[in-house]
Amino acid sequence: MSELWDVAFIASLLAGMVRLATPILLAALGELITERAGILNLGVEGMMLTGALVGFLVAYGTGSLWLGTAAAVLCGGLLGLLMAFMAATLKVDQILVGLALNLLALGSTTFAYRLAFKDVGTQNPTTISTFGTVKVPGLADIPLLGEVLFSQHALTYLALLVVPAAYFFLYHTKYGLELRGIGDNPRAVDMRGVAYTRRQYAAVAFGGMMAGLGGAFLTLAASGLFVPDISAGRGWIAIALVIFGNWQPVWIMFGALFFGLIDSFQLSLQAVGVDVPHELLLGLPYLLTIVALVLNRRRTQMPLSLGIPYYRESR
Amino acid sequence: MTDGQPRTGDATGVIPLRRWKIEKRPDVGAWLQFLAILLALAAAFIVSAALITIAGADVGKAALAAFKGAFGSLKSFAETLLQSTPILLTGLAVTVAFRARLFNIGAEGQFLAGAMGAVWVSLAFGDALPSGLLIPLTMLGALATGGLWGGIPGLLRARYGTSEIIVTVMMNFVIYFLLAFLLGDVWRDPSSFFLQTPRMPEAAHLPKLIAGTRLHLGFIVALAAAALVYVLLWRTALGYEIRAVGINATAATYKGIDVAKITVLVMALSGAIAGLSGAIEIPGLHQRLTLDTSTGVGFTGIIIAMLGRLHPLGVVLAAFFFGASVTGTSAMQIATGVPVAINQAIQGIILIFLLITDVLVRYRLRRIEVHV
Repeated sequence: MSELWDVAFIASLLAGMVRLATPILLAALGELITERAGILNLGVEGMMLTGALVGFLVAYGTGSLWLGTAAAVLCGGLLGLLMAFMAATLKVDQILVGLALNLLALGSTTFAYRLAFKDVGTQNPTTISTFGTVKVPGLADIPLLGEVLFSQHALTYLALLVVPAAYFFLYHTKYGLELRGIGDNPRAVDMRGVAYTRRQYAAVAFGGMMAGLGGAFLTLAASGLFVPDISAGRGWIAIALVIFGNWQPVWIMFGALFFGLIDSFQLSLQAVGVDVPHELLLGLPYLLTIVALVLNRRRTQMPLSLGIPYYRESR
Repeated sequence: MTDGQPRTGDATGVIPLRRWKIEKRPDVGAWLQFLAILLALAAAFIVSAALITIAGADVGKAALAAFKGAFGSLKSFAETLLQSTPILLTGLAVTVAFRARLFNIGAEGQFLAGAMGAVWVSLAFGDALPSGLLIPLTMLGALATGGLWGGIPGLLRARYGTSEIIVTVMMNFVIYFLLAFLLGDVWRDPSSFFLQTPRMPEAAHLPKLIAGTRLHLGFIVALAAAALVYVLLWRTALGYEIRAVGINATAATYKGIDVAKITVLVMALSGAIAGLSGAIEIPGLHQRLTLDTSTGVGFTGIIIAMLGRLHPLGVVLAAFFFGASVTGTSAMQIATGVPVAINQAIQGIILIFLLITDVLVRYRLRRIEVHV
């Protein structure tokens, strides 16, 4: 087993880590902004799944991967608006809305795919050619680092760029401060005359768009095909990541890379025929999230009003 | 809304203006809550009809096929009851938890934990015990494993204040991957190519209720569980405490109710009921565990609990309705080619509409006089 650990193996392991972290990082950063606005969106999984299907269908129909990506973002955003309407305007239970969205997305994507293609469950599903990797000129030639960081998909670079952007937005802009205020103490923000409902709509729509983008990555960059339930729990991983990263963009990125590493590790070892209990490795992120939740409880950055609707009239 | 254009008065100086006003009802009665359900179901039926049309099928034909598939014969009716059994139990599990305002999203995982407990008991003691002892023992095993899987989030919440929502969601995945590991390892049926446990011993199978159908004893157990949950919640001191915690945990504390204890107890009980669902579905129907064992019964249970207004009788009716929708849509797929996935889409739509209509019925439109 020791001869396995050469440079090529490590490079592919780490490159896989960054690639596998991409969809969950995209969705988690969206969920971070959503939760910072005080809304717990449990519908990330459904939004990813919808993005995955819509991206695939549009790319298949138009032949343009970027149009597919745009459509996935749009549909994720629309689902986000629905979530925002239910949570911020009607103020119904956010948990239930999220779960309903998941069921709706799981059912309707499978339904739509079966109508569009008759190959569900067959051995050769319809495939499209995927996004290629983009080598960053110059940097891609650096040994190890070039392969790991600078020979990735465009959406991977985007995901990594959103991390500092989200950090800057949350901690160094007025809007970010207000958004964090809405999540912690909506009454205080309301009294300052900030249109908090509009901010919540924007935050949840952004979360939906990012989830849609993460879903599009699955079909348009990672695989080139759609199968029912292709998101396979990644939306829930994204929610777990927000907790695991203690609601902070940089820690969420490290969490995504860590979860990506676990995934890449089990895939790499399986590929070379090493018998690892890969199911236990796949279950580890969820278990670690519970542990993080317990251990972080004293220094948690969880928005104080997360999931609690705010009524202006009542105290 | 009193911002209408004021009119200048005549000799008296006051002309009452009449306008419509949307206002909150002081209280929402039972019939309004029922109306909300009817509205949600009606809206869901309209969406179903639209989806069936999109799929290129005739709505009338599809509806007839679905109705026949769910109720057309003794066999199909028995199948409807069979399909409503596991979701009735998960619906009850969710009901118990939600009544204490504990959001158990983990009935899915607790169902699996229960199924695993039941299968383990049957594989361990199957050769040694007669059916009359083995079946209750498998159920006890499932109550224990399901209760454990629900009790842990309850304990973490009571001890550390962690959100039971997040913990139960995560534990759904932990148990799924644990099962996947066991199926590839010690539990793997050596005689099979597939990832599955060996078949449960004959003595552990639940007896059939009606010959020639798949309906089994589990249906009766589920109905009995509904009655027991009713008695527990409304006829015992513990049930009173559970509901008191759900209405206002702070007030319950002042009444001397140990909220932490209730939290652990309710979550364990909820998990145990969901676990029982697994101990009925597997020995009654599949007789072995695979990775496809659960088809989302935990999440369906949440919708059923909401549709049933967190009342056992309502949950029984809602479970029956959803059971009929499962058998109906599979018959519809065979007859008209409408994909059976429509079922899940409609479940989600029903819940979304129910949440909306619940808000709608809280308001009323009233003609009021505005004095200027």
